[in-house]
Amino acid sequence: MKKVLAMLVAITMIAAIMVGCGSSKDNQTAKTLQGTNETSGTSEKADDSASKEGNEDAGDTSGTVTVWYYWEAEKHQEALNKLIHKFNDSQSDITVEAKYVPFADFKKLLSIGASADALPDLVILDNPDHAAYASMGIFADITGRFDVSTYYEGPVNSCTLDGRLYGVPFGSNNLLLYYNEDMLKAANQEVPTTWDELIEVAKALTTDTVSGFAHSSLQNEEGTFNFLPWVWSTGASSYEINSEGGIKALTLIQKLVESGAMTKEAINWTQGDTMNQFISGNLAMMINGTWQVPTMRAEVPDLNWNVAPIPMDAIPTSGLGGENYAVIAGGNEDATIAFLKFATSKEQCLYMMNTMGFISSDSTIAVEQFKGDPVYEAFVEGMKYAYARGPLPEWPDVSDTISLAFNEVITGASTPEDAAAKAQATIDNILGQ
Amino acid sequence: MGIDGNLSKRKNILYCIVSIVILCFLLFPLYWILVTSLKTEKEIFQIPPTFWPKELNLKSYLVQLEGGDFNMFHSFGNSLIISLGSMIIAIVLAVPASYGIAKYNFKGKKAIVLGFLVTQMLPVSVLLTPLFIMFKNMHLYNTLWSTILADTTIGIPFSVLILKNYFAAIPKELEEAAYIDGCNKFTAFVRVLIPIAKPGVMVCGIFSFLYAWGDLAYGMTFIIDQEKRPITAGIFNFMGQYGTKWSYLTAFAVATIIPVALIFIFMQKYIISGMTSGAVKG
Amino acid sequence: MSKIKKLFKYDNVGIWFVLPAFIYMILFVGYPIIYNFILSFQDVTVKTLRSDVKKFVGFRNYIELFQQNKVLATSIWNTLVFTVMCLVFQFVIGFALALFFNKKFKFSKPVRGLLMIPWMIPITITGLIFKFMFGTDVGIINYFLRSMNLISENIDWLTNTATAMPAVIFANVWIGIPFNMILISTGLTTIPTELYESASIDGANKFQTFRKITLPLLKPTIESVLILGFIYTFKVYDLIYVMTTGGPVNSTQVLSTYSYKLSFDMFKYSKGAAVANILFIILFFVSLIYLKYVYVEEEA
Repeated sequence: MKKVLAMLVAITMIAAIMVGCGSSKDNQTAKTLQGTNETSGTSEKADDSASKEGNEDAGDTSGTVTVWYYWEAEKHQEALNKLIHKFNDSQSDITVEAKYVPFADFKKLLSIGASADALPDLVILDNPDHAAYASMGIFADITGRFDVSTYYEGPVNSCTLDGRLYGVPFGSNNLLLYYNEDMLKAANQEVPTTWDELIEVAKALTTDTVSGFAHSSLQNEEGTFNFLPWVWSTGASSYEINSEGGIKALTLIQKLVESGAMTKEAINWTQGDTMNQFISGNLAMMINGTWQVPTMRAEVPDLNWNVAPIPMDAIPTSGLGGENYAVIAGGNEDATIAFLKFATSKEQCLYMMNTMGFISSDSTIAVEQFKGDPVYEAFVEGMKYAYARGPLPEWPDVSDTISLAFNEVITGASTPEDAAAKAQATIDNILGQ
Repeated sequence: MGIDGNLSKRKNILYCIVSIVILCFLLFPLYWILVTSLKTEKEIFQIPPTFWPKELNLKSYLVQLEGGDFNMFHSFGNSLIISLGSMIIAIVLAVPASYGIAKYNFKGKKAIVLGFLVTQMLPVSVLLTPLFIMFKNMHLYNTLWSTILADTTIGIPFSVLILKNYFAAIPKELEEAAYIDGCNKFTAFVRVLIPIAKPGVMVCGIFSFLYAWGDLAYGMTFIIDQEKRPITAGIFNFMGQYGTKWSYLTAFAVATIIPVALIFIFMQKYIISGMTSGAVKG
Repeated sequence: MSKIKKLFKYDNVGIWFVLPAFIYMILFVGYPIIYNFILSFQDVTVKTLRSDVKKFVGFRNYIELFQQNKVLATSIWNTLVFTVMCLVFQFVIGFALALFFNKKFKFSKPVRGLLMIPWMIPITITGLIFKFMFGTDVGIINYFLRSMNLISENIDWLTNTATAMPAVIFANVWIGIPFNMILISTGLTTIPTELYESASIDGANKFQTFRKITLPLLKPTIESVLILGFIYTFKVYDLIYVMTTGGPVNSTQVLSTYSYKLSFDMFKYSKGAAVANILFIILFFVSLIYLKYVYVEEEA
């Protein structure tokens, strides 16, 4: 058997050497070819090259700009393509092209692309992941190269790491309580504003076929996004799960599930699935985001529904979501920034936001964006007390810990106290590193 | 070849009924996919579930034809090229290899068998990054070749380990007879042994084809242009951050299964007979 | 002398048949295996992915994985349970169906052909369909169980830590049955008919012929099917990811999903590689056992 092993090792090693030679040679040529492309590395290095290129700036705004995005909805893809088309027609030096990468694969492909030096010039990504990639060194420092002074603070924070700007908010959204007006009326209930009311109303709305209340509770970022407003509403932060507030939030979920008012199945629902249950009439109230509004209006024009602030404990809260633009370091940076300036101009921005059901992150545009549309106005109002997740390079890790905690509570695997204590230990460990 | 030879009429009917029951049970999920694809999104979530759509909804199928950037026919063609390419490479390499393992003794044979097993032991997710780096260096990134080559790494070991049993079962006398007829090692292999091992070759071809057909991870990772991606990539048009659109998704599933199923049914005579009529009848 | 020479020549011919396929595999999978090994001994996280110098940390990733939380131990246990249960059910059912459809009745060939269709569905879709069918309130499986009066209340299959694993196993067995059935069916074709004929002349009953003829002659096929089945099931990823993403509360977390989560959701590339390597090492030892105790006998 030893002989077999030895031979195997030898063969694999030979193969590795063969492959290794090939790739290292190629790497060298790639290095000499790219030259300035080798910015990356640590963030200081990235800073360096950014300022260097800033000095040389002046003129090289031409060539191709590749954009990666993950919207699978046809309407969204069309909107982006139209925007790009308009930009390409408006000038002749730069050609922008968009590549669709599915949401499920987006993080993976950015990681692989970073290892293999195969990244686009611009990405549109989910904002809680922004800090992690910025710390990876794949995003260009655009401090001073793009003006975000009129933008909302939360979205700008999500693109900022150590005081430097690594992106531009694309658009924002937040979470509100959606409710089925007919079901509330039939059960003779008012819209809940506090936690106690939420439990009462949700119980009253629950029947054999209808769940009173739910929000996406997946054991991932999406679930964390929907759960955290409860924690924040008590005054605790995302990192204080084993506090009075954190335990109180977990206990609320426990009460909702144990009373049958919130369906346990929500731990397998995405926000889209939650909406599908709501529009099929299987769910009376849900927490969901701004971007569902256009879909719901198109799919079920006859359904009577409305939105209200998320029922609160001590302070009103909502979760801040949205996408950011990030310029890839060492890509065609100047041309990319030229495109960004075009895409964020008032006319183009309004077009994108309105088609996608997003709120502009530029406060001067947002306040006028949805005049006369009460549902959207409620979401714009929500922007004022919407909290951002992170920004922290280790956020994915923290998020995973939080989502495990409320999943343990929902499935009954742990009490709120135990789940909170366990989660806190992990979070402290992550933050202490 | 059966244990019982020909069956009595009564047994024949009984077995037919049993086989239909088994078929219904095992293919129920397929029926459910079909029915779901014909329902409206609202009816899909109805309690209790309906076993046939109340109102026939064909919209989900029409959507497949106009899926934005994603072109169903185009990606079907890509998948066909990828699957056939991968199948051909797997067969060309695996058939001789399995013959070599089955019929010859040489040093390090066991290590080689272990080697074929070892190459299957990493989950696909950790293969993605290193393969990506390799394909980029080979200038195959964003080509159908990358996916063909990667998919074949599943087909080859499978085929080798399955086929070696077929070759091993072929009696030495048949091979010797071929030598007497003037064949050398190579021509004996091509003219005599391969035809006898045909059922195995067929099965390995089919499995290699289907592995590549069902692949999603490689095609998604190594190909970035929408128009070059395989048909499985279309799944993402109907599921993702905005929730799963069940009617569209199931219609997509039906649309992807039908062409392959048609090929199978059309060629069933050859495939099934190829798979089950070994020449080792004596 | 000439005998030795002849043997030597004979040897050479064999290896030339095998080498092209072997080199192909080493070329495309050898490098990833080594890449993954090295990565698992480094400290590559989101902050160090792009730096030129990657710190070598020895076994630290492995040690931390074992010490810090119970997820790794849970994943190893889940993987074993999942693999063994799937193998047992799909092999036994697949074998039974192969024997059944080996009988010459009118529908045997067309029905066996149709049973292949589940294999044509991409696994992602199969996973979604089973997730849908196992739904608590609208799932068809609960509906059937209730109409047959087997349960009085809906079972929360995929959202209960006790039932999620059986549900995932059920779905994987469904995919595995045709695989086992077809391979064993074709394996049966290698058994010469006259063996059965002479056995029946000798007055052997069905069970005896099965034990004395079918099983021994089918042994190589059975071994291949089981070892391949073990390896493929042990690293199943798509199906579990789609149905439960490893939840609820890690009750269906297996090594492959855990490795993926560490690498691509949490950006702990080295830890993800280490988990994949643990999977690799377990499979490696299973294969060594196969080669030592099973494959050797076959040659002798």
